[in-house]
Amino acid sequence: MRKSIILGSLLVASLAFAGSALAADTIPVGHLAAYTGPTSGVGIPFGNGIDDALAYINKHGGINGKQIKYKTVDYSYNAPRAVATYKKWMSSLKPVAIQGWGTADTEALVKFIAKDKVAYISASYSGHLTDPTGKGPKSKSAAPYNFFYGPSYSDACRGLVQWAADDWKAKGKSGKPKFIHMGDNHPYPNAPKAACAAYAKELGFEVLPSIVYSLKPADAKAQCLSLKDSGANYAYLANTSSSNISLLKSCSTVGVKTQFLTNIWGWDENSIKATGAAGDGIAWVVGAATWKDDAPGMKTLREVSKMSDPSGKKSRMLHYIRGVCGTFLMKEAMLKADAMGAITGENIKKGFESMRNFVPAGLEGVCSPSTWTAEDHRGMNLVNVYTSKYNGGDFKMTKLATVEVPRRPEWLGW
Amino acid sequence: MSSSAHARMNCGEFRSTYIQDTTIFPTPLARRTAIAAVIFLLLAPTFLNSYFLNLGIQVGYYGIAALGLNIVVGFTGQISLGHAAFFGFGAFASAWLNNVTGLPVFFCIPLAGVMTMAVGLIVGIPAGRIKGLYLAIATLASQYILEDFFSRADWFTGGAYGAMANPFSIFGFEFNNDQRYWYVVLFYVVLMFLFGTNLLRTRDGRAFIAVRDHYLSAEIMGINLTKYRILSFGISSFYAGVGGALFGHYLGFVSAEGFTLLLSIQFLGMIIIGGMGSVQGTLMGTAFMVLLPELMEGGVGLFGHGSSGLMQALAYIKEMSIGLAIILFLIFEPDGLAHRWKMIKAYWKLYPFSY
Repeated sequence: MRKSIILGSLLVASLAFAGSALAADTIPVGHLAAYTGPTSGVGIPFGNGIDDALAYINKHGGINGKQIKYKTVDYSYNAPRAVATYKKWMSSLKPVAIQGWGTADTEALVKFIAKDKVAYISASYSGHLTDPTGKGPKSKSAAPYNFFYGPSYSDACRGLVQWAADDWKAKGKSGKPKFIHMGDNHPYPNAPKAACAAYAKELGFEVLPSIVYSLKPADAKAQCLSLKDSGANYAYLANTSSSNISLLKSCSTVGVKTQFLTNIWGWDENSIKATGAAGDGIAWVVGAATWKDDAPGMKTLREVSKMSDPSGKKSRMLHYIRGVCGTFLMKEAMLKADAMGAITGENIKKGFESMRNFVPAGLEGVCSPSTWTAEDHRGMNLVNVYTSKYNGGDFKMTKLATVEVPRRPEWLGW
Repeated sequence: MSSSAHARMNCGEFRSTYIQDTTIFPTPLARRTAIAAVIFLLLAPTFLNSYFLNLGIQVGYYGIAALGLNIVVGFTGQISLGHAAFFGFGAFASAWLNNVTGLPVFFCIPLAGVMTMAVGLIVGIPAGRIKGLYLAIATLASQYILEDFFSRADWFTGGAYGAMANPFSIFGFEFNNDQRYWYVVLFYVVLMFLFGTNLLRTRDGRAFIAVRDHYLSAEIMGINLTKYRILSFGISSFYAGVGGALFGHYLGFVSAEGFTLLLSIQFLGMIIIGGMGSVQGTLMGTAFMVLLPELMEGGVGLFGHGSSGLMQALAYIKEMSIGLAIILFLIFEPDGLAHRWKMIKAYWKLYPFSY
């Protein structure tokens, strides 16, 4: 009897020890996804990319043998819910890094994560998140723990405007081209508004008052009629793809002839199919390889995709691939943090800030090179401008230009 | 009040004065239980973890706002579909007062309640003249007008970006975690619920009930209908404002997205589930509404993992469960949890002689 008690208690103690050892060897990470809500059209592929990449990393040895313990929460693109989730995590999960989503919530959390020292990799590429010191003249506040993979919304829009200026000349047109910003009254569409308008003016555009259209897909004929009346030559669409699909269809009905430009979330394979000929010729920003590309890193990417699609037949969207890139960058920053002694939010931040023209191992040719420093979190200033053509059932993506946006110090954090 | 009080009265307990008859707690046992519950809640942070405290805090601030709605809907018989907008106004007002004037949050919360009350009184003006469906639409309009105001008034709310709200503090001591903020919310819950209970025992409170039960008789008795309808909107907004301010300072960030029509419906759901016209039921209904999505999340968590379809549908499941709960309560228990609780107590009082 006594023997069994001793044995039993030993077993319990060893289990408890194993449990605590296991807990010590995991890296807590939060994943804030938008699987529902107005941005779910792009949120689902992006979030799936993150989940698959995290599962893949764990399956292949984690971070030097330590497993990533991640929790995915769908916050429906509702900023207060994101903040509430963050607070909940800080009291239970205690993450060292978070894969986040929207602009409103990421910007709301800037101060919290800086205080708690949590590395935050967002799907918001808002220019406001690029100034780690807060010294930029137009900076809203210091964002020392914020990172994202890609050119900022402001830089991407500047790149599009630069392309538009060249396009105007190439077409041999004279006079001042007219530029207009279109988007919902929401932090994400608003993020590049002022910065991009200022640069457009600098390049000789006449900037028209912006037009508001809903982030939730809805009929937008009224907005399209306003656009037609304004006589704009170039219209920047600042919403996500599902909203843009409905706008472009409405504008096609109304007979708008404007050249549309849109950001990294504004257009994708699905929208090309859904919009049909109404979306032909749109110019947009692409931040990584496409599923059909032939690059050395595609092998890894296809293996990542098999985490949720074992058949390997599913064709993944541009957003999925960027989700994988962002997660692998976090993994590399964690490896660097581990080399520093401990995987803490502070060391992950330092890990990111030591990257120069960096491409995550295994994803060569898939993710574009990124650079972060302790003074500048603008990871990328090359903007790849693509256009698409719909040819009944299939679509064709063509690269128009790679624009290098100047890295001006006064643009930091704007 | 009286019928329920009698149901809870022990045998041999007689009341010979009006004061004894209008006491808050009908029996000494009820009073002792309430005091013990408050003491228990005071000690809660020592043995509850942050997750449960967080849920309790949510019940607290939503409960205060829901009591406000119960005053206007359950006690005065008006309808309001814009309660979330007042809740939001309180949150923005408190953040704005604190950020702009530098006034400590301690003072900003009641002041935000007063500011919201002012807005509520303005919205209440049409309420004094119209009722039923027309009033529902008028309050719905106020919901949308305020939502639009939140996303445009940069000076007040920070526009689409929202506003930061500093933590609650007294003399430099910050109530910046769940353990500390628990006491702030508990203090307000006790204060506001006592005030609510007492309000209904006053002349004005009884006038509210008279307006609800039969407005024509109430008017014949000399009750100024317009005055009391507007007043009930004002008091209701005060509660919403205080609840909203507590919410804002807890979250640390206030954004227009948080105060949609859906939240207004949820407030209505809280008082339907809890019991229309019951102070105690309001708290029960709020707890139900806060805990139900958490239970759903736990349930889904048992069946789904990672990025499975079930996890991706979680947000819908949570919202559907709330809708379903409201429908089921309307069908099977229209008087809410408070009524069910009374039935349970009556059953045990008479057991085994139920006749």
